[in-house]
Amino acid sequence: MAQNSNAPGDTPDLSVQLGPLRLRNPVMVASGTFGYGEEYEDFLDLERLGAIVVKGISLRPRPGNPPPRIVETAAGMINAIGLENVGVDVFLKSKLPHLQRLQVPVVVNIFGNTLEEYAQLAAKLDGVPGIAALEINISCPNVKEGGMVFGTDPLMAARVVQVVRRATALPLITKLTPNVTRIGDIARATVDAGSDMLSCINTVAAMAVDIFSRRPKLANVMGGLSGPAIKPIALRCTLEVLREVHCPVIGIGGIATPTDALEFLVLGARAVQVGTANFVNPSVTTEIIEGMERFLRVEKIARLEDCIGTLDTQCLFPFAEIACELTDLP
Amino acid sequence: MKIMEDVSVVSQEKVAFQTHLLRLSAGRISREARLGQFLMVQVRDGTDPLLRRPFSFHRIDAEQGVVEILYRVVGRGTWWLSQCDSGARLRIIGPLGNGFQLPQCGPAPVVAVAGGIGIAPMMQLLEKLAQWLAPSGKTREIHLFYGARTAEEFIPGKAFDTLGITVHWSTDDGSRGHEGFVTRLLEDTMRREKIKPCVVYSCGPLAMQYHVARWALENGVPSQLSLESLMACGLGACLGCALPAVNPAAPQEEHYLHVCKDGPVFKAEMIQWHKIQTHPATPPIFLFS
Ligand SMILES: Cc1cc2nc3c(=O)[nH]c(=O)nc-3n(C[C@H](O)[C@H](O)[C@H](O)COP(=O)(O)OP(=O)(O)OC[C@H]3O[C@@H](n4cnc5c(N)ncnc54)[C@H](O)[C@@H]3O)c2cc1C
Ligand SMILES: Cc1cc2nc3c(=O)[nH]c(=O)nc-3n(C[C@H](O)[C@H](O)[C@H](O)COP(=O)(O)O)c2cc1C
Ligand code: FES
Repeated sequence: MAQNSNAPGDTPDLSVQLGPLRLRNPVMVASGTFGYGEEYEDFLDLERLGAIVVKGISLRPRPGNPPPRIVETAAGMINAIGLENVGVDVFLKSKLPHLQRLQVPVVVNIFGNTLEEYAQLAAKLDGVPGIAALEINISCPNVKEGGMVFGTDPLMAARVVQVVRRATALPLITKLTPNVTRIGDIARATVDAGSDMLSCINTVAAMAVDIFSRRPKLANVMGGLSGPAIKPIALRCTLEVLREVHCPVIGIGGIATPTDALEFLVLGARAVQVGTANFVNPSVTTEIIEGMERFLRVEKIARLEDCIGTLDTQCLFPFAEIACELTDLP
Repeated sequence: MKIMEDVSVVSQEKVAFQTHLLRLSAGRISREARLGQFLMVQVRDGTDPLLRRPFSFHRIDAEQGVVEILYRVVGRGTWWLSQCDSGARLRIIGPLGNGFQLPQCGPAPVVAVAGGIGIAPMMQLLEKLAQWLAPSGKTREIHLFYGARTAEEFIPGKAFDTLGITVHWSTDDGSRGHEGFVTRLLEDTMRREKIKPCVVYSCGPLAMQYHVARWALENGVPSQLSLESLMACGLGACLGCALPAVNPAAPQEEHYLHVCKDGPVFKAEMIQWHKIQTHPATPPIFLFS
């Protein structure tokens, strides 16, 4: 890491450049875990966040899945909410205005069950003031193609991005699912199709069984695992994506502490999203931001940007590091 | 306003079979809380268990700055909670949800139904109702239908007699009061004694609530049912705590309400009871120890 002189007491610079967006810090909140922001206003100053990603929005309101919708598992939880949301019209009329008044970038997470839905949704959001970017959730079934999930096939994923790209001038973030064999292929396909940025990962496909009733613990049978349990998977996915494409990447998955967040930045992610941890501690994002600041002070680094992408995969062991220095290996 | 407060345990005692009473020194939350609301308790640091656990306020004492929860040990979270000694620190969030409404019907009779640990949010409410009319010299008939699996699960309610609350006991095994379901006792007693209550308050397992709701709807009794569901956030953010509900604007459509923000107290007519899938039966506690 670059060592800059940093007088004690100086506030380290946490701001990051994320594609066209300048964020005051890299800590965003993940879609579906922060409502529309207002749910958390008693617990933190929303304007301290790097950005807010709102609950996924669809063209029409969706009621969501029957309960039970959630179950706790080891260091995580599985959810099958079924993308319940108020629909884009109600969102624009009654949820967005409050966020527009705040000094914080708002990213709108969108999803559809057909390409047309994605396109119409993007067109409706295009040009609306106070929206910094769209995040495209491609972890949804394509109802016209037998329910196969858009995000698991490079061609289908690319087509979603293409139709959204044509419908709006807003910066686009494509949110990748980890439930694929080669996440790098999907990353490449969506970037080639016009995605400005990527975020990864969405939840990991999972299920839980109740031995007393012999039933699945979720009415939907399967759901998505999130929380600390998935952080190692998310780190690996982020690295694979970073090796494949050169656009800005946002790391998501199991982030609950400043250390977790910094791990993604060291890998090369330019920002992070905090999800499930908001449920456990509604002001966790503030604590993560403050922890990052402390880390920079201790490490005497003036700008957080200087930490990004500093992962050293050459020298994995301390002794190897010494060996590197001694023998001047590449 | 919702508050996250670091509180300390004033005391913890075992009051009945697998049932603990926890007193917390929570000055800020106690001043904001209403009966029927709940709080989310982080039973322990770290990731096991990961999520907070919801508990109703059992008693709220704003003057002393103390709140109490009464809970049953049913799994990992409640087991860890039962290990907290006086002085232990806990992080809690509250008050959450809507709470009970007091009846608007003068001295007409009030009925309450409690199943097992469902007594938790009811005790102070009943005491309040009993004392409410005292200054005017009037009295109100209050009937509590209190059911449990077996007699040792009942919470000692010393005050019931002095307050003039009629308790109708029932147990599954007949060890105290009526043998069988408390909702059966409710139906029979109400029919026999021709009581016309102006409201029924109820808290207990969803299977019990279903029968209370049906009885209330059939007899036109306004109801306030404290319902439960699994919760991740308690704040209206995760949408995990949904219950199938009736959309008054479009009764045929699939619709959900959320226990943490629309409830936990609901009217019987708001819920689509036939669509409710109850929680898996509570597993025997020995599996956890
Ligand atoms: C609004 C609300 C108020 C509540 N008030 C009280 C109270 O005053 N006293 C009390 O003892 N309990 C109360 N509960 C239930 C309590 O939250 C659960 O018993 C507790 O979360 C179980 O945690 P655990 O880790 O011990 O059990 P787990 O290991 O998580 O589960 C053990 C068993 O408990 C069931 N369970 C888990 N969570 C819930 C839940 N949220 N609601 C119902 N069943 C659940 C599971 O299905 C399982 O059968 C309330 C629940 C809600 C939603
Ligand atoms: C309850 C819940 C709801 C979610 N809803 C959405 C959603 O609407 N759209 C979306 O793209 N991701 C959604 N996610 C995924 C999260 O944004 C995030 O990618 C995932 O939870 C991993 O991060 P975490 O481990 O920090 O929670 C949801 C996650 C949870 C737990
Ligand atoms: S528990 Fe999260 S919305 Fe109700």
